[in-house]
Amino acid sequence: MKRRSASDRAVLIFAYLFIGFIAVVCLYPLVMVLSVSFSDNFLVTRDGYSVIPRNFTFDTYTYIFAHSGARILKSYMVTICITIIGTLLSMIITSMISFALSIRELKYRNAIAFFCNFTIIFSAGLIPWYYVCVNWYHMMDTYGALVIPSLFSVWNMFLMRTYFSAVPPSLYESAKLDGASYYRIYWSIAIPLCKTAMLTVGLMYALCYWNDWWNALMFVNDREKFPLQYFLYNILSNINAISSGRVPSGAAANIKLPSETVKMAVTVIVIGPVIFLYPFIQKYFVDGIMSGAVKE
Amino acid sequence: MRKELKKNRQLYLMCVPAIIFLIMFCYIPMVGIWMAFTDYNIRDGIFGSRFVGLQNFKYFFTGSTGMGPRVIWNTLVINFWGLIFGTIVPITIAICFNLVKGKFFKKFTQSAMFFPYFLSWVVVGAIVYAFFSSDTGLVNRILTSNGFEKIRWYAEGKYWKPIIITADIWKWCGYNSIIYLAATSNFDASLYDAASVDGANLFQQTIHLTVPMLKPTVVVLTLMSIGRIFFGDFGMIYGIVGNNSLLYDSVAVIDTYVYSAMRSLGFSYTTAIGFFQSVMGLILVTTANKLAKKVNEGEGLF
Repeated sequence: MKRRSASDRAVLIFAYLFIGFIAVVCLYPLVMVLSVSFSDNFLVTRDGYSVIPRNFTFDTYTYIFAHSGARILKSYMVTICITIIGTLLSMIITSMISFALSIRELKYRNAIAFFCNFTIIFSAGLIPWYYVCVNWYHMMDTYGALVIPSLFSVWNMFLMRTYFSAVPPSLYESAKLDGASYYRIYWSIAIPLCKTAMLTVGLMYALCYWNDWWNALMFVNDREKFPLQYFLYNILSNINAISSGRVPSGAAANIKLPSETVKMAVTVIVIGPVIFLYPFIQKYFVDGIMSGAVKE
Repeated sequence: MRKELKKNRQLYLMCVPAIIFLIMFCYIPMVGIWMAFTDYNIRDGIFGSRFVGLQNFKYFFTGSTGMGPRVIWNTLVINFWGLIFGTIVPITIAICFNLVKGKFFKKFTQSAMFFPYFLSWVVVGAIVYAFFSSDTGLVNRILTSNGFEKIRWYAEGKYWKPIIITADIWKWCGYNSIIYLAATSNFDASLYDAASVDGANLFQQTIHLTVPMLKPTVVVLTLMSIGRIFFGDFGMIYGIVGNNSLLYDSVAVIDTYVYSAMRSLGFSYTTAIGFFQSVMGLILVTTANKLAKKVNEGEGLF
């Protein structure tokens, strides 16, 4: 290894510092949220937030589950159900069409791809979409409203098609010679060959469902049907209203504010499963971004 | 055509669920665009309501509240700075990331940088709150402990564009840097060897090799963002500031304005705004696509 020049060393030092700095900036807020949720509420209110738990305690979590445990558990169940059901349905719909569009013999595949693409470059806008969902499909306050509007993503379809297109067509042809139907080729050849791809796209859908609160904001008023994210959103927006001074002080006194630690603990509860699974799922997302994000 | 449909019937059937979805949620709503040209009321329905021509559009641009031009401005400003820093920061990350060594260090820092992408905007909103709440927030604690006055962040609109742009970059920097990393991983290593034999130092290699080779990727991504410059990120704005009316004027983007005006100003007016957005999007995306083809030797964005 040859000795590095002074300017090279300066560049390398900058690179290490910059990467380290960004990593800390990305992680710091999260550590703070975690630590506040394990802190003593009185100390947090008096001394403010910090990255080291103030007087480490599980009190906040015990409190939450004692007081609104049922409500949180219910929201958890809603989120888990829409994530599982939504992801499964999305995967069926998406994998079928992307498989079909990856077959070269399909004569009208470009027309169908354009039919999908057009929805990306032109949309009716929020209001007609909302109008149709509410007045024609009657989605207000239904569980379906949390799943159905996000069932299919054209982006994910194109990503998955990239994976399917990488399968050599000769594999399909020999199966066809043996008399296999396209359904069979799809189910017993294409899907097993693209297992990683299925996992990648599936996880992308799952993350969308897990993080979704938009559908709830649009269609759900019934507290019983709130998904977890929307539950947190409601807690935060109440606080927002009061700390902006918008709510008159008389009214503010009547609204019971969750304490600082409770807000952060609910945040931790919301992102808990993601943190827990993150080490295992991260690489699939990296893979998905690398293969689908930008054509090279 | 009938022959083709018969021959590949199974494949076409596999497309049907997705096509039904798109018809239901993308194409049928397009019918509702007609509302933009009428004075919609529930009794007469979409097609029975009085036709008013471009009146709704006129109100959006010249209405006495001035909200139309203001939300357009907010949308463009937030997207513009998001685009600038959202390109510079991830590229710098990707370039530095290629220079550093150490498997553990790289793995750990990449995991850390990518994590914010996995959080919803509501969670990001909670984190922003942890920083800026007036009594317990970290920023105010730092201010007061250094002898400054507390700032009531959630009541002062002027701070929020920068806060939101920062949050946007924070959430996406890891994700976008992976895109640029993917691009750099395709670069020819022998070019770098040749350069270092010729005596180019790391800085020169970065400026004269890495940056020019990243240009096509940057151009494509930038063009894609410009195509969507009239679309605000509803989730980002709403997740971070909610419907806080004190901050409304300075952070409301077209999309949040449409949502909050839906009930007060009616479906026709807000449909018109959405239609304006879509038409601008269509024009910009098609132009961007043409430009991308020029830059990218015939390869468009889609």
